This record gives sequence, structure tokens and C-alpha cells, in this order.
Amino acid sequence: MSDQNEAVHHEADVPVDPRRDFLVLDDVHTHFDLGTSFLTRESKGVVKAVDGVTLTVKEGEILGLVGESGCGKSTLSRTIMQLIRPTSGRIFLEGKELSALSDKDIRHERINFQMIFQDPYASLNPRMTVLDTLAEAIRTRHPNVKGAGMRERVADLLRTVGMNPNQMKRYPHEFSGGQRQRVAIARALAPEPKLIIADEPVSALDVSIQSQILNLLKRLTREMGLTMIFISHDLSVVRYIADRIAVMYLGRILELGEASEVVDHPLHIYTRALMSAIPAPDPRTERTRSRIVLQGDPPSPLNPPQGCNFWPRSPVTHDERMKHEEPVLTELRPGHFAANCPFCLNGA
Amino acid sequence: MTDHSETAVLASEPAPPPAHSASEIAEEELVQGSSLWKDAWSRLKKNKLAVASLVIFLLIVVACVVGPWIVPYDGQEQDLFLGATAPSAEHWFGTDTLGRDLLVRTLEGGRISLMVGLVATVVSLAIGVIYGATAGYLGGKVDSTMMRFVDLLYALPFTIFVILLMVAFGRSMWLMFVAIGCVEWLSMARIVRAGVMGLKKQEFVEAAVSLGYSHQRIILRHLIPNVLGPVIVIATLTVPAVMLLEAFLSFLGLGVQPPNASWGVLINEGQQNMEIFPWLLMFPAFFFALTLFCLNFLGDGLRDALDPKSAKD
Repeated sequence: MSDQNEAVHHEADVPVDPRRDFLVLDDVHTHFDLGTSFLTRESKGVVKAVDGVTLTVKEGEILGLVGESGCGKSTLSRTIMQLIRPTSGRIFLEGKELSALSDKDIRHERINFQMIFQDPYASLNPRMTVLDTLAEAIRTRHPNVKGAGMRERVADLLRTVGMNPNQMKRYPHEFSGGQRQRVAIARALAPEPKLIIADEPVSALDVSIQSQILNLLKRLTREMGLTMIFISHDLSVVRYIADRIAVMYLGRILELGEASEVVDHPLHIYTRALMSAIPAPDPRTERTRSRIVLQGDPPSPLNPPQGCNFWPRSPVTHDERMKHEEPVLTELRPGHFAANCPFCLNGA
Repeated sequence: MTDHSETAVLASEPAPPPAHSASEIAEEELVQGSSLWKDAWSRLKKNKLAVASLVIFLLIVVACVVGPWIVPYDGQEQDLFLGATAPSAEHWFGTDTLGRDLLVRTLEGGRISLMVGLVATVVSLAIGVIYGATAGYLGGKVDSTMMRFVDLLYALPFTIFVILLMVAFGRSMWLMFVAIGCVEWLSMARIVRAGVMGLKKQEFVEAAVSLGYSHQRIILRHLIPNVLGPVIVIATLTVPAVMLLEAFLSFLGLGVQPPNASWGVLINEGQQNMEIFPWLLMFPAFFFALTLFCLNFLGDGLRDALDPKSAKD
């Protein structure tokens, strides 16, 4: 990463230093314009899938991103991947502003950040052998490797993800879901990236396979010095794998902190509700544990509520003042941030 | 996946597969995978009707290609004293009103008919696949513009289009091949576009984009091979459609010109003397119909083989 060819705009009020941190998201918005109605020419509205996310990810950590379906976590992952370009805001990876690169330039940058997809049945090209798939991905970093040398690299990759290299000439449909996900992980590792975004990598798998894949991801991140953003709707999975946890709701981050902090001392009522939804392994505890039940469904991101966007669902209060004050992500405990809506915070 | 207990998460990873002492991977050690094409072929082989159709079709093709050199007559050589004779030991299919051997003429006609089918289908494949894949992949305004153009061509009456071409450029066999191909690519383009639009949202295409592959690579390596199944089926069904079209044009006198023959020309000549010399109609019509049957059955069989989910049984 050379520092010369980057286009960093310096602004005094930017709370993060894009040069120092590994991955920086600075007030990222990703909106989808639904266009105008054919007859009336009225706007059909704008879906604010990601609505102002500011976040830094440290090198070598696993950041867990949790939220309900529809909260924008997949859109956020695709925005970081530059598969969807942000509507506004900036994204820096190792000081380089990805969001400012042209479509052409971003292609050469892509080997540094890779993605593991949710559905291992859809994420591998059914017409290509494992060897072809991985060789194609390895060539993005090493264009001149061929023949036996390439096969050796593919074999190494397969061993890394716990698969037998003699399977490399097989096709995706000949593998189980867990094995396919291992191949997909190998493909993400093939270009030797620094950042890996895992978008619900275990939610399509059997519970017994989930743990294997989680352990594999955790081990690989440590051994290869990767940085990972791990996305899930399942807080129990995230708290197992992540160093830090970010809780997302309606396109915004509500709470962010060390995994143990967020799990043991959740500040926001929403996080507490998510925590209380995790079933306890012991049936006796399970029977007696108290649950915080949220009201209704998440509101439409097409027309999100004003102010603290959580107010329509709060189990505690429907204070009118919530609708008027826009909460800000604030450091309430050391390293532990939460949206500072006074009505949503724990004992605040 | 909501009920996810801690105990399941903590279950340890299985032992990694036995480490290979030698770093070299020998070819014979590798488990050979079975591609989707191979699977489709083994399914097709179980379909008796499709296999029989394939065999008969290949026999007709071989006969048309090789036959005219073996039969000791020239298809253009007239024998006006002989005239039309019924099938005999000397002329197996009889002779036509100009005394030409009908067997040779049927085989030579088959050559041209099959060639029309092949050339026009290849033309329609080439245009349709590239056009449809580009429109589907790029999407948005480019896609709408490209597909409106297809709609426009669809609305154009084909016969008038070909007649205009023939008038403008003169009657040429090759021009007719190209003209038919240029019309037949429309459905191909639509099917490829629909397939590509569906695939584009699949995660393996997103993965290809996030690996930084070029558009060309994504279209050629990741999209087109995955829409090839329906394309092959449509191509197989396009061949008989094209041959029928050629026969129709030749029947109208717009297609292949005598003394060259296609099955369409022969059928046209045959029907003029249908009541007196019925074999002049029967033989070419039989081969033509048999070929069309075979190709249609083969196309149906391929569709079932390439997309097992759609198979009826």
C-alpha cells in the first residue's frame, strides 16, 4: 500500500484517523433509489439500507456484526466489498480510500479483501472443478503459476481448510454443504487477502457442521494474521468467535464494544433483547430465564422512524421525546459505545 | 439456526485428513470428479427414444454426406428418354420427370437441408448467446435498449424480411442461411438473457466480481457455461425449425434454386406430380419428416437430461 496515490480528504471533525487504522468506515450510507412511478412521476422512495455507519476495525481482530434480517448487515458487507458502491461516506483499507477508486482500479485492489458467502450451494460455480475454481483465484495474486506448481498450491489450500487434496478434481455438487463452505473459504484465502468478510457463513449449515466451520475460521484468522468481519443474526455464534461486537439495527450501529463487555453488560435495550433471546442449554435455567420481548417487526427501511429509530419497538417506553432526538454512538464505558438514547439505555 | 447452543459451538474440529508425506500430488491419486455434463450424458443414455433418435439422425447425416459419392449416378445428370420411373433395382428410389436418380437427389438435398440447419443454427447461437449474455449481464438501460431492439425484430414479419433480403442481394443460398440465422437468434437471445439475469444474482458470480475478474472472464467462464444447458436444448430444436423454414422458402421458390436441391425443393417438385408419380413426394418427405422427428425427440431428451428437475417421470 503506497501512500502516494490515495485521495484522502482531511476534515477536522472526522473522528477517526483513516491513515492509522486498518479498516475505517466514515459515515457510510448505502441507499437504494426505487425510481419514480411511471404514471405519476412521483418518487417511489429510497431504501436506506445502510444509514450512517462509522466504524473502525483493528488489524487482526474479528469483529462480529449482529442484527435481525433486513437490518442492512448484508448490504453493509457488500458495501465494504465495493460490490455495491456507497451512496455517501468513505471507506479506507490500510489508508487507501476504496470508495474513491474507479471501477477499473478497484479490480486490482480486490485481492486484499475477500468475502465468504452465506450459501455454499450458490457460491461455487457448478461447472468448475475445485481445482479450476481455486486456481483461478490463486492467479489473481500469482498470475504465472501453472501446472504442477499450481496444483501444489491448490493442495496446500485444501489442506489448510481441512480437506483432502485428492478431491481437487471434483465438482461442487459432489460435496456436502460443509465441504463446499470449506472450498469457498479456500477460495477467499487464495488471493492472500488481509481482510475477510464472512456473511453468515454458517447459517446455511447443519448445527453440527457450524461449529467446525466456526473453529476453522477462528483458527485461520489467528494463524494467518487475517482481519475478519463476521456477520450473523445469531448472537450466540458471534459471541463465540468475535473479539468485538457491533449490533446493527435499521442501517445503524446501536452498540459496539468488546465481545465480553457487550454480552455481559449490554447497554442498549435492543442488545439486551437479543441477548435474552438466546436459549440456555440447561432446561431448568431455560424455563426460568426472563425474556425481553420486542414489539412488532422491524420498521421498513423505506420509511424509518424519526429520532431514535428504535422507539416503535421499545418494550419499556414510548416517550414522545424519543421521536425528536437523534441518538449518537457514544463511548459510555471504556471502549464500549452505544446509541445515547436515554430511554433505551440500561440504567442511564 | 436460531437455537444454537454453546455446547454445539464448542465441539472440536475433526482431525485434519492424513497428512501427505510426499508433497507431490500424483495424478492417479486424485479422485476424478463427474461433471454435470457427464451426469447429463449418463441420463440421456437411459432415454431410449432419444438415443434411437440420435442414432437414426447420425445415420441420415452419414448417408447424406457419404452417399452421393457411392451411388453410381449424378444428381444433375438428366435422362429425358428415361423420364420418371418407379423404384427399381437400378434406381432404388426411382427417377424424376427429367430422369434423374431420386436417391442421389434425396441425399444431395439432405446435404443442403442439413447444412442450412447447421449454419443457421450456429449463426443464431453465436449472435443469440453473446447478445443475450451481454444484455443480461450489463442490465439497466443497456439491457432495455437491446431487448427493445429484439422486440422490434420479433414484430417484423419474417417472410417479408427474407423476401426483401433476397430482392436486395439476389438469390443466394448462403445469404438465405444467414438470413434465417439472423431471425432465429431472437428466442436464443431472450433465453440466454433470462438465464444470465437469474445467475447474476447468485453468489458465485458475486464471488467472481469480488475476486476482481474481468467482465469478459465472468461472462465467458462463469455465466455462459451455466446457461449452456437450455441453449443446447434450444439449438437442437432450432435445427428442425430452420430446416422447415428453408423448406418453406424453397417451396415458395425463394430458397434453393434448381438444379440444386434441398428437401424442400424436392418436396415441391414431388407434390406437382403427386398423383402420377407419388414416390417423388414420398421419399424426400419421409427423410425430411424422419429427421425432424429425430431432432425433436433428441431435443426433448436433452432437456430432461440437462435439467433433471423438469423431467416428467
